[in-house]
Amino acid sequence: MKNALLTTLFILVFGCLGYWGLPWWGLAVVAGVAAWFFPLSGGKSFSTAFAAGFLLWFVAALLHNMSNGGILSAKIGVLFMGVKGWHLMSITALFGGLLAGFGALTSSYARQMMFPDKPRRYGRRR
Amino acid sequence: MRIFRFLLAAVVTGALIWFLKTPQKAGDKSLPPLGAFFNPFSGFWANAERADGANFDDKSLPGLKAPCQVLYDDLLVPHIFAENLDDALRVEGFVIASQRLWQMDITTRKASGRLSEVLGARTLPIDKMTRRRGMVYAAENALVGWKKSEEGMRLLQAYTDGVNAYIDQLDPAEYPIEFKLLDYKPEHWSVLKTALVIESMAETLASGESDLASTNALALFGQETFDFLYPEWNPKQEPIIPDTGQWKVAQKALAEAESGKKLSVAPDFVPNSGTLASNELPDIDPYLKGSNNWAVSGGKTKSGHPMLANDPHLNLTLPSIWFQVQIHTPEQNCYGVALPGVPGVVIGFNEYTAWGMTNVGQDVSDWYRVKWANAERSKYLIDGQQRDVRMQVEVIPVRGQDTVYDTVRYTDWGPMVYDNDAQHPLYDCALRWISHDVPEPDEMALFLRLNSGKNFQDYQKALSGFDCPAQNFVFATRSGDIAIQVQGRYPVRAKEQGRFIQDGSTMATAWKNFIPQDMIPGMRNPSRGFVFSANQHSTPPSYPYYYLANDFEDYRSRRIYSRLDTMHDATPAYMKAMQNDNFSQRAADALPAMFRLLDQDKLDEDGRKMAKELAEWQYTYDADLTAPPLYDIWYDSCYLKTWDEMDVLRKQNKTILMPEAWRFIELLEQDTSNIFFDKRNTPQRETAREIVNESFRAMQAYFRQNPDKRTSWGPFRGFALKHLAQIDAFSRLDLVVGGNKSTPNAISKTNGPSWRMIVDLGDQVKGMGVYPGGQSGNPGSRFYDNMVNTWAKGEYYDLLFMKSAEEAPERILAKQSFTSK
Repeated sequence: MKNALLTTLFILVFGCLGYWGLPWWGLAVVAGVAAWFFPLSGGKSFSTAFAAGFLLWFVAALLHNMSNGGILSAKIGVLFMGVKGWHLMSITALFGGLLAGFGALTSSYARQMMFPDKPRRYGRRR
Repeated sequence: MRIFRFLLAAVVTGALIWFLKTPQKAGDKSLPPLGAFFNPFSGFWANAERADGANFDDKSLPGLKAPCQVLYDDLLVPHIFAENLDDALRVEGFVIASQRLWQMDITTRKASGRLSEVLGARTLPIDKMTRRRGMVYAAENALVGWKKSEEGMRLLQAYTDGVNAYIDQLDPAEYPIEFKLLDYKPEHWSVLKTALVIESMAETLASGESDLASTNALALFGQETFDFLYPEWNPKQEPIIPDTGQWKVAQKALAEAESGKKLSVAPDFVPNSGTLASNELPDIDPYLKGSNNWAVSGGKTKSGHPMLANDPHLNLTLPSIWFQVQIHTPEQNCYGVALPGVPGVVIGFNEYTAWGMTNVGQDVSDWYRVKWANAERSKYLIDGQQRDVRMQVEVIPVRGQDTVYDTVRYTDWGPMVYDNDAQHPLYDCALRWISHDVPEPDEMALFLRLNSGKNFQDYQKALSGFDCPAQNFVFATRSGDIAIQVQGRYPVRAKEQGRFIQDGSTMATAWKNFIPQDMIPGMRNPSRGFVFSANQHSTPPSYPYYYLANDFEDYRSRRIYSRLDTMHDATPAYMKAMQNDNFSQRAADALPAMFRLLDQDKLDEDGRKMAKELAEWQYTYDADLTAPPLYDIWYDSCYLKTWDEMDVLRKQNKTILMPEAWRFIELLEQDTSNIFFDKRNTPQRETAREIVNESFRAMQAYFRQNPDKRTSWGPFRGFALKHLAQIDAFSRLDLVVGGNKSTPNAISKTNGPSWRMIVDLGDQVKGMGVYPGGQSGNPGSRFYDNMVNTWAKGEYYDLLFMKSAEEAPERILAKQSFTSK
């Protein structure tokens, strides 16, 4: 539980590096680092990171959209086959979730491959 | 097992990243790479500007001599307060780039044949044509001229540095959204790019000619019929500069020098009528680029102040071609619209004067048929002497494929634009175009001098260095002067020289001189109390120099003339009404003539209803009237049925000159049994009466077959304010507006008044203006299209012309300071 919380916080905090130039795929890296240092089982790793990435990108998009009054998202929606502004926020969030989730999953499996004893320990803690 | 699931996870992650990194396609639309585009920190969401207020960080701008301040008003117009002009232009470059960077990029890419570098192979034909016409060659030659003016270059460099300072401090998250959509990066500005902006205006405004169409028409009809169909002077015309006896002395001298000279068509070009040369662009209604301007003296206005009005008609786009700005220094204080990429204010006013422009439209672009000296076409003959062709290799990088190389032959006449297409009628012809010439050094300083001008002498001095694109510069001062000048660089022509394709084997057909500055038509303070222009003839035929155009305007000018002539006690409101005038002089001329020939008693009930509606119509193209579509279809049908001889060729994509509307209407009024009214495919002999009646029935049939078209003028004509990259989501396609090519409010499907300005030159100079767009080039800004509805309604904004930075705080949204460190 603690590691899940720490993973979430780590992704939320360091994912914001996007504001300072962290490229979009950096979210997968951030999630990977989180999963490495705060190990969880594969499935937990994915779901936790997915939720954090989803939340982070959703809120970031939401804040932009709110302060903009939806002017831009209405136009971008037309560009993407007529979807609505909140669809765009959901797509954004989905991309964030998938990037973080798969980044964490890959890292988690890598760790379990390199340190085969570790998962058992975490299994005990659980 | 663990390796396997790790590898699987890694592959899925990799595939996800690859998917989000690679540009995708949705149907026929290509989408940007989704990862970067949807990244909420730096993708499109980062272009979602605050919808309330506006925020500008203070900036450091290296090279500034003193601190500057910019105040943004409630239309996001920057008011630049600087200690000197160098600083002001440096800041102007910065602030324009901050609102219109992508527009500046794409405009110069288009003008230099570099679109394919970012848009891929689909724009390759456009790029090739741009380069083959020598656009970069023209811009480089412009710089050769400008560089002779040290001051001009210093100011241009300051502006350029300002643009680049903006680009250098730009975070990729702040790139305009089009860069993100099209997935490329901004690059540095340069003085050459400013020259390219000017050349692209020249391409739009000063490249009109109909040499091939005229040559074909002459070949088809012979000289006598040609002269009958295509007279150059419309007797109903009101030229810009009337004859007041000012040309008498010059006329005599020129007549002696040029007596009897007439240069005809290139001898070995003339095609026989059976095999007319074809061309890819048949068009009966040339692209609308017109404009209106006028100035009236105090004697005509209610306030007793002079007033000036200008509305340049151009292709209307989002972002708009114009950007409003005020530039205040201790030496000058001016307000108006700038062209993104060009320093200073192009059309505007200051505390003493106001100025505006319309296009002159004289033909300064001729084709010369080259006589080759060898089969490789590497040498050609002029007066029997061999000259070498210069081979210019154009290197065109194309996104997603190999670089394309294109070789263009340059002769001393100019580039061989079509020498890559042996089937093209202009395959052997070189383009002689004024824009390829090295201009006067002061060309660059024109706008800056107008910006700081205080009187008529300053205006004349500013204009004297201006070559191309030739403009009718209207001018007024607070002290009571009004003036207009048809400024440009025009070749001295023998009669009809340049009307047809010329013989390029001899210097006898070359442009030898240019019309001297003191013979450029102009006038100051005429007794009639007004000056005006609307792209019509510059002068009456008594002007000593021959000049031509492929399409001088005939109707807006007459309407504007008659309103100015009868005007008294005018107010700004009257000026606004004039700019928004939807009255068509063309319809007022043509419709009565058509009605005289219409057999109304033979019409069916539906036809009688339509005729009644037309009879009650006051010739105004208002958006909500249903009569204009009836008239348009009826008139067009009359026109095309009359000129069936040419229409049949036109339909085969053959280029042929069509008679001008005024000539057609004249024949309809005066010569109804002319042989041209006879239809070639019938045994009997038709007259104008049969044509008019048949066309009326054709019009009825058209509306029977297209009942949805039986609607009011606005939706019938349609109007689209398109984004520069044709992205519909960033366009305004919902507007319903009146007006027509022949009305002062000259709105067509995609063209129209790009800036409506009225200046009242009282003790306090007051400006009113509007353009269809917004100051911001960002579709995510509320300032992207905030002026569009105001424009569509024919309304104006009171322009905030500030005397000091402390004035009018209630209209100031934001402040931005610039310091050198």
